Amino acid sequence: MAESGHGKVVKLPDRDPKPAFSKEDLVFASEEKKRIAGFVEEYEKPDGAIMKALWLAQEKFGFLHPDVIQLVADEVGIPYAQAYGVATFYTQYYKNKTGKYVLDVCTCFSCQVCGGYDILHYLEEKLEIHKGETTDDGLFTIQEVECLGACGSAPMLQVTNGPYVHHLTREKVDALVDALQNGQMPSFTSITLPQDEDEMGGNRRTDVDKTEAYRTPPVAETVE
Amino acid sequence: MEAKTAKTKAGEWRKYERVLLPPIKDLHRIDVYEANGGYKALKDAIKGEKWTPTAVTDEVKASGLRGRGGASFGCGLKWSFMPKPDGGPRYLCCNGDESEPGTFKDRQLMEYNPHLVFEGIMIACYAMSISTCYLYVRGEYADWIDQMETELAKAYAKGYVGKNILGSDFSCELIIHKGAGAYICGEETSLMESLEGKRAYPRIKPPFPAQYGVFGRPTTINNVETLACVPLILERGASWYAGLGAAKHPGPVLYGISGHVNRPGVYEYPTGMLITDLIEEVARGVRGGKKVKAVVPGGSSTPPLRADMIDGVTMDVESLREAGSMMGTAGMLVMDEDTDMVSWLRRVTHFYHHESCGQCTPCREGTGWLEDIVSRIERGEGRVRDLDLLADLCSQMEGRTVCALADAAAWPVRYTIDRFRDEFVARCRPSHVAVPALPESELEEAET
Repeated sequence: MAESGHGKVVKLPDRDPKPAFSKEDLVFASEEKKRIAGFVEEYEKPDGAIMKALWLAQEKFGFLHPDVIQLVADEVGIPYAQAYGVATFYTQYYKNKTGKYVLDVCTCFSCQVCGGYDILHYLEEKLEIHKGETTDDGLFTIQEVECLGACGSAPMLQVTNGPYVHHLTREKVDALVDALQNGQMPSFTSITLPQDEDEMGGNRRTDVDKTEAYRTPPVAETVE
Repeated sequence: MEAKTAKTKAGEWRKYERVLLPPIKDLHRIDVYEANGGYKALKDAIKGEKWTPTAVTDEVKASGLRGRGGASFGCGLKWSFMPKPDGGPRYLCCNGDESEPGTFKDRQLMEYNPHLVFEGIMIACYAMSISTCYLYVRGEYADWIDQMETELAKAYAKGYVGKNILGSDFSCELIIHKGAGAYICGEETSLMESLEGKRAYPRIKPPFPAQYGVFGRPTTINNVETLACVPLILERGASWYAGLGAAKHPGPVLYGISGHVNRPGVYEYPTGMLITDLIEEVARGVRGGKKVKAVVPGGSSTPPLRADMIDGVTMDVESLREAGSMMGTAGMLVMDEDTDMVSWLRRVTHFYHHESCGQCTPCREGTGWLEDIVSRIERGEGRVRDLDLLADLCSQMEGRTVCALADAAAWPVRYTIDRFRDEFVARCRPSHVAVPALPESELEEAET
């Protein structure tokens, strides 16, 4: 029982010297709290609201840092472990900081056989990053994703869980990247049904700016 | 033998008039929908004497409507599994998760005719005395969810959804639930877990959802397209519906045709269309005048058919089962003669490996091994015996897991190798290295 060592308090190193969000930032505004309370109302148990609340948090904070998940869990009223479990189960919740624009290139089978990998490789070369990486300027992240449900307009991609860009070609990718660099998100594109084209002479909606018709897909150069 | 009768299954499909997506400008807007007879079936159901909840269920049963989500289960029969109301909450889940590769029809229905879906949901809720419906839409469809939210608010405002619908004592809430990217959520029990705010691990059945569903309450899960058929059945009668398309699998279907065709897209025709008609006439043939090599009739889980297997095969459960595949979601992928089936299969196995939820070992590990082994073959480093190994692996997965994802992952592997074996064998190295004969001098030495 040496006396030395007693009475001395060893300061533990700060476990999080550079927090992703400061304490002041890590709060929900009253408006957001109200929205989350509304989500909770929609389900028999508050647990059901977690997915919507996580979406809201991701829109606000950009990605779901463990501190953000804690905040959401507290707001919804469920254990952190459960909220963390949900956040990590679904692919659209970003667990790490991403680029400002996340380009989700579909390469699942319809896109694969119609040139999805060509587009993925072209993007990788153009932005000089591999899939899963973010450009140095923090603008773009490329991801290879599973079927996005637009198989008829392959190859296609989705920008940051938002608009779809259909019928991709290299020129279209160039234009998209240019537009995004200028802060312009692609607008919603309505895909005209082939039968509508035949029977109605075009898209049935008059309230959309951009329409595209289904067309013959390109020949895939690479399939992996 | 099938070919002659099969031709007539879809009837006069060239003159078919669309009902799920009728050619009406701006049909997605509530005023246009109303002006074209929209919400009339709901009005009749709720207000008319004729339609008691049981009568609606019986009519749907009589129509022969089968689920459009992949399993092709009888819709009316599913509804009749719901126990009698006990005063507690009951739920309907409308499955708009649509993540099966090759499937993109529900998205178009939700964009172009959302009110038909809402109306179908409300009638289904009325038939089963349900007061809450969750419309589960995959998170990737963010734009379409926003548009539907707008239209749903209008339906609420006009009293087609919500409290005391159309002045009656029937109330029903419709809540759109946005997913966040998980194929497994299209599985009904997994969808319920997701709604409950958990990781979407499928549940063991029984108990079935009708007994123990969302939050432990009786629940029915139907696909978007299935529910969209319901108002049409009430409006035009079960016999009209039953007379459309193939006898044992009637009704209109949204065929999503993708891949190497000249004109891909979503087409509405009756069931029982000849696959060859769909490719040659509807989708205007294979790109560049090439030949068909393989057709996946209903999403990635359905076994692919070789070109010589599609003659006379029609798009309905019976005919496709005979041909050795399934109807699935009617999301058809057409591949031309240049397609590399090994690479294609590798991409399919990658999909299932990525989407396996990880709950059951045979699936979590099995899908990974499927991908690894098929990738090895694709790289030209495989052995012929790997093909047997894959078949063995498939047997270890099928039917040994909580949900059908393992089966869905195993089938394409089993049947693609079965049906395109030469191509796989050609990519594999010989399964053993021939031992060179010993030189004669050594042989003599060995003998002495």
